[in-house]
Amino acid sequence: MCAAVKYSLRGPALIPRMKTRHRIYYVTLFSIVLLGLIATGVFQFWPHSIESSNDWSVEKRSIRDVPVVRLPADSPIPERGDLSCRMHTCFDVYRCGFNPKNKIKVYIYSLKKYVDDSGVPVSNTISREYNELLTAISDSDYYTDDINRACLFVPSIDVLNQNALRIKETAQALAQLSRWDRGTNHLLFNMLPGGPPDYNTALDVPRDRALLAGGGFSTWTYRQGYDVSIPVYSPLSAEVDLPERGPGPRQYFLLSSQTALHPEYREELDALQARHGPSVLVLEKCTNLSEGVPAVRKRCHRHQVFDYPQVLQEATFCMVLRGARLGQAVLSDVLRAGCVPVVIADSYILPFSEVLDWKRASVVVPEEKMSDVYSILQSIPQRQIEEMQRQKWGSVSNPLFLPLIPPQSQGFTAIVLTYDRVESLFRVITEVSKVPSLAKLLVVWNNQNKNPPEDSLWPKIRVPLKVVRTAENKLSNRFFPYDEIETEAVLAIDDDIIMLTSDELQFGYEVWREFPDRLVGYPGRLHLWDHEMNKWKYESEWTNEVSMVLTGAAFYHKYFNYLYTYKMPGDIKSWVDAHMNCEDIAMNFLVANVTGKAVIKVTPRKKFKCPECTAIDGLSLDQTHMVERSECINKFASVFGTMPLKVVEHRADPVLYKDDFPEKLKSFPNIGSL
Amino acid sequence: MQSWRRKALLLALSASWLLVLLGAFPLLRLAVPTRPRAGASQGWPRWLDAELLQSFSQPGELLEDAPELPQGPRGGSCDWGACFDASKCRGGGLKVFVYSAAGPVSETHRRILASIEGSRYHTSNAAEACLLLLPLTRDSSAGECSPVPPQWNGGRNHLVLSLHPAPCPRTFQLGQAIVAEASPTVDTFRHGFDVALPLLPEAHALRGGAPGQLRQHSPHPRVALLALAEERGGWHTAGTNFSACPWDGHCEQDHGPEQTHPGATLPNATFCLIPGHRPDASHFLQALQAGCIPVLLSPRWELPFSEVIDWTKAAIVTDKRLPLQVLAALQQMPLTRVLALRQQTQFLWDAYFSSVEKVIHTTLEIIQDRIFGASAHPSLLWNSPPGALLALSTFSTSPSDFPFYHVQQGSRPVGRFSALIWVGAPGKPPLKLIQAVAGSQHCAQILVLWSSEKPPPPRWPETAVPLTVSEGHRKVSDRFFPYNAISTDAILSLDAHSSLSTSEVDFAFVVWQSFPERMVGFLTWSHFWDEALGGWGYTAERANEFSMVLTSAAFYHRYYHTLFTHSLPEALRALADEAPTCVDVLMNFLVAAVTKLPPIKVPYRKQHQEARPPLAPEGRGPRPEPQPPVRNCINQMAAGFGHMPLVSSRLRLDPVLFKDSVSVLRKKYRSLEKP
Repeated sequence: MCAAVKYSLRGPALIPRMKTRHRIYYVTLFSIVLLGLIATGVFQFWPHSIESSNDWSVEKRSIRDVPVVRLPADSPIPERGDLSCRMHTCFDVYRCGFNPKNKIKVYIYSLKKYVDDSGVPVSNTISREYNELLTAISDSDYYTDDINRACLFVPSIDVLNQNALRIKETAQALAQLSRWDRGTNHLLFNMLPGGPPDYNTALDVPRDRALLAGGGFSTWTYRQGYDVSIPVYSPLSAEVDLPERGPGPRQYFLLSSQTALHPEYREELDALQARHGPSVLVLEKCTNLSEGVPAVRKRCHRHQVFDYPQVLQEATFCMVLRGARLGQAVLSDVLRAGCVPVVIADSYILPFSEVLDWKRASVVVPEEKMSDVYSILQSIPQRQIEEMQRQKWGSVSNPLFLPLIPPQSQGFTAIVLTYDRVESLFRVITEVSKVPSLAKLLVVWNNQNKNPPEDSLWPKIRVPLKVVRTAENKLSNRFFPYDEIETEAVLAIDDDIIMLTSDELQFGYEVWREFPDRLVGYPGRLHLWDHEMNKWKYESEWTNEVSMVLTGAAFYHKYFNYLYTYKMPGDIKSWVDAHMNCEDIAMNFLVANVTGKAVIKVTPRKKFKCPECTAIDGLSLDQTHMVERSECINKFASVFGTMPLKVVEHRADPVLYKDDFPEKLKSFPNIGSL
Repeated sequence: MQSWRRKALLLALSASWLLVLLGAFPLLRLAVPTRPRAGASQGWPRWLDAELLQSFSQPGELLEDAPELPQGPRGGSCDWGACFDASKCRGGGLKVFVYSAAGPVSETHRRILASIEGSRYHTSNAAEACLLLLPLTRDSSAGECSPVPPQWNGGRNHLVLSLHPAPCPRTFQLGQAIVAEASPTVDTFRHGFDVALPLLPEAHALRGGAPGQLRQHSPHPRVALLALAEERGGWHTAGTNFSACPWDGHCEQDHGPEQTHPGATLPNATFCLIPGHRPDASHFLQALQAGCIPVLLSPRWELPFSEVIDWTKAAIVTDKRLPLQVLAALQQMPLTRVLALRQQTQFLWDAYFSSVEKVIHTTLEIIQDRIFGASAHPSLLWNSPPGALLALSTFSTSPSDFPFYHVQQGSRPVGRFSALIWVGAPGKPPLKLIQAVAGSQHCAQILVLWSSEKPPPPRWPETAVPLTVSEGHRKVSDRFFPYNAISTDAILSLDAHSSLSTSEVDFAFVVWQSFPERMVGFLTWSHFWDEALGGWGYTAERANEFSMVLTSAAFYHRYYHTLFTHSLPEALRALADEAPTCVDVLMNFLVAAVTKLPPIKVPYRKQHQEARPPLAPEGRGPRPEPQPPVRNCINQMAAGFGHMPLVSSRLRLDPVLFKDSVSVLRKKYRSLEKP
């Protein structure tokens, strides 16, 4: 489920850019076909991942050894495709409920060679592309070789290109599949539908209730929520390596590279070129190429010869006009080249439109407005063109994105991590219990060799106090999502923080309510880039900027405890526990990375000074301490693969802080000092 | 659904719930016959001669796709290109004409009219309109729908809108008209042509609307996991202790007491199961408002505004034929997704569903987006706060141009700021202020809006940045006009009498860059509920909290000028022109309604001298009549918005070393602290 969400957000993998050859392309293609089905509802909450499992023993055989199946001339033909099919009418969901963890399972029929009564083959046994697609499915986690557990069935009968098969006989071959059952839960892949003269926009092979992943659907043939629209594969894009081109202006504003166009469109294009001069480039088929030069890889304008698809990289916008078919392979080439497609094909269902927002990477223009296309494109702001060129389909999302100020009445849960400093702990408990919004106090007893004091010895406070014992003395126990936490706000506080005033803590909670998705703490810290050493450096006091707060006392949403415990990337958690340091820096990284926002430092407090722990404080000022903290920052930045911390120049104070105003009228008069 | 079937469903759900609780999956697996496994399992073979396989298309076949004439539509069906004449809509976007009722105007008809009149879509001239709206309402007298309207023309460019179910019998064919109705079935719904509406209760608010009920982000530990929609309108909650569930969802089961909530109370649960049955659709809106994730047990119905709203982010559509899987999946759903779904329900409720006005404007915005084509809202603008009705595509279609999406996009607002100085009645050029502002390293330009009777002086001081003077602004609301000359994202709005230091300007701008969607100001007001008067009041007295910042010195995003001018109802802007301090209230209302957040206050040295009392505005245009209109301004604004959007804050953002007892040399904004 997670993966499904992630994939629909983090785009680049979705685009059939075929960077690393065909395989990834087909894995992606199939995953999105499934995602397309997911978007239709019934599959919506099935867990998904496209990790490859590939623990099947793979058989190595020759394609010539495939068994031959003779189809009698009178064998049954399925009904034509049922246009009224929807998930709730034509799909058997019961087949999808068998598997543990509700995983969708896909079965592939074994390959056969079909011949008619007189022994003439029905079609080519299998194309290179279909073989690769089936290999990708077979290598994925979805695959099952157990027909009884399958939810989807994929025939090995290749219908990618309607022109390469005999329609009636192919239909007969489908009908005799062992679980055909009117095509229920069967999934067919087709890229070139229809044939002359009327070029239907969906596969003409009678297929009854089978689902169709097709290239070139129109609104008239597409069964919304049942079929999936896929791009037409272009072998060219997969074969040619194109360098990455960043966004920015290019030599041509608009380019057309298609060679077979309806004369009306050709006229329109010529008119465009005449009107707008050299910023428009209309390419045609080359007529006078020397021998041996592949015509598919060249385009011409008058006498100038251009390499295709490389020339696409020289334009900001590239035309994708409909031909006889709506789906055009040139769309894949154009996307691959980082050119923004201008799609002019009325009623065309763009590939994966159920899960992709094409408005973010393309411009769709109605056919009747083709003559205005230049001015339409001119009106698009430069910023948006650059976003389209980047082909950004999605973006990061803050898990707490709803602007919501939690009710004050809920209060917060204080979590005190302690080992054996009982006296200091009791003082902290007594001090914190004076904060009006405290709802509960949780002591995490991190000492396995010693029992916590008896109940009667604990300070008597006005809120529930609970002691949790841990199995191991680990720093990360402080950030565990304990069931006992019932409030959204958590105050993490060390067992020696007694210098914070009640006003200071209450104010910290109020600030957290206004910024519930951030870490709200007292002393701030900063990371800096050390140009000499060429790495990050930790900075502690007297800076004008902050990028972290110490979690010796900090408010945050309890959700981040869950993230820290279960979603911390890499080996950061174990590194922290092994070094017994930097759990606070790790938390700062985690929150900043997932929200994209800076911390909030409250009040002037610069360090935690306490009378009893001068030795510790001395240590924290120690040079080795700073070195260790710097090391943590560098380690975490490399694990996260980025520096997520955000630097700000502000801190939060009460509205009337240090204002010339009667102290007794201030809400938080006792804010404490440095 | 007959009641016995409903009972059976309930029984099945309860039974399967129990099965889930008992951990029935191992049992279930036993029930499925396992295939005798002969040896290792096998995947798709690797062909030894795979290199010899041919491509699915012949070389060049993809290119030589023979040109043919485009096909026309088949049958009587409609799609956007075939049945809508967009050429009527050139210039100025969508203009809508609403047919008036033949007889007495029904309540529904009146509400539809009220929400379109005064909006940016409305026209009273049918010839000028590109969309003709025909409300289908029950005519109390005849019991029939309105007769065929005069410009019907086979329904072309018509929108037939039925807001409530059980419409009257129609006396004519809908033909090419766009149908907007509640919960159509997917079988008859024409994608990209018709519009699916939510089923609104008769008493739905006209504008503003009730807020979402979600008060906290995550589900409260003691709240029930499931609520099932009841036939007679209530909710049946099946209690289970969510706190017993660790975050990855493996629960210690606690089959708590079951409760039935009669009447229309909102469900208090994490998931709301809604049997796919048309009259149940009002349950859908209730669940949305309550922040209870709607789980539709049938994929038969087209969800409201499905053309633009990505429902996979806010609801779950499934099939009641799989109760076991549904319940197990809900129970195992990761907290991250539960959090996201719940928050999205609240955003969608508030952005598109909470009032009749929003529902109708959303319908029209969808149709306008189809007309705009390339310059329509991208999906991001529809599906993240504040929503497409507040992110005008006429301003931009690039998310980075708006103040709302920078965090998501990983982008920053561009450039420096433009100072906009409004010079009112006394007509004295604010030379000191100009020097202070021009001294800021972040200042890109200064625009002086001269609105005094006196002519502006011919000479202005030399400044480091370009200074432009423009004349003839008589109305106070002119200061919030989206002037083309404003080239930066940030605006520093100033009055001639404002007094700021360069340091103050610098720091405030840096803070604004962290909060580009909010107003960042120096002087504040706060609003309060006045029990004695039974209305809202506001005060300039210094207090421990505030909810408005004065626009006489504030940073904000230039997009708010566009919203102010093009999306606010005319009446509210007129009100602000009559009582100039009202303009501050209006701008603060607008930003708060969009962001749902308080403004930000930064330190200001001259606080006590300058606070302009709201009841006696100074130095700004002609002095208004004394008390009454101003007094009432905030209440009229609240009525116009349908609710009180202002949010209070108790904090001020200061420089990190502000007034700390350290050497002033360490401090970046040291002059902020001078007495």
